[in-house]
Amino acid sequence: MKSKVTNYITIILGLLLLAAGLYLIKTNGTAVGFPYVFVGLGCGLFGHGMGNVISERAIGSDPELKRKLDIEKNDERNIAIADKAKGKAFDMMTFVFGALMVSFALMEIDMIALLLMVSAYLFVHGFAIYYRIQFDKEM
Amino acid sequence: MKNRLEELRKQRGIKQEELANVLEVSRQTISSLEKGRYNPSIQLAFRIARYFQMTIEEIFIYEEEQE
Repeated sequence: MKSKVTNYITIILGLLLLAAGLYLIKTNGTAVGFPYVFVGLGCGLFGHGMGNVISERAIGSDPELKRKLDIEKNDERNIAIADKAKGKAFDMMTFVFGALMVSFALMEIDMIALLLMVSAYLFVHGFAIYYRIQFDKEM
Repeated sequence: MKNRLEELRKQRGIKQEELANVLEVSRQTISSLEKGRYNPSIQLAFRIARYFQMTIEEIFIYEEEQE
């Protein structure tokens, strides 16, 4: 029930943002990039909410299908595969973002943009260290 | 890790799909287990052993990895 309400709120919020964005584009051409951000966010929220509502309706009428989907979702091998893939992608991201930062530095891009990127990179790695310590305590 | 899952399943005349349904895992998991490509968690190993009314050691064959 709670998820149903959340989904409908997401859809309405998405539509409102989309409408606000389109209205701002039509009426006010000087509002920098905000209208476009609204349109993007609105479309995303609307799509996400509608997707959830449609899938819940489709699954709700077929309990056997729901059970099968739950099994697929909670299957330990599927979870292990997803976790392993995420680990590999994280390792790859470390190199790709590292190379990208060096390239940006060589291109002498704006210092603020470069520092933001370095901070984001370090934040993600800090997050990885934090969870390593957390899991070390838990396991 | 080698195991006798396929042999035990066939002895009982069960399909992979049916075993997967009982153990609440995907059919691909049963297939990977039978081929020895995937080692189950201890919980799943217990569920399998209970289903076949055997011990884990009777189903899964542990061999020291060769250097």
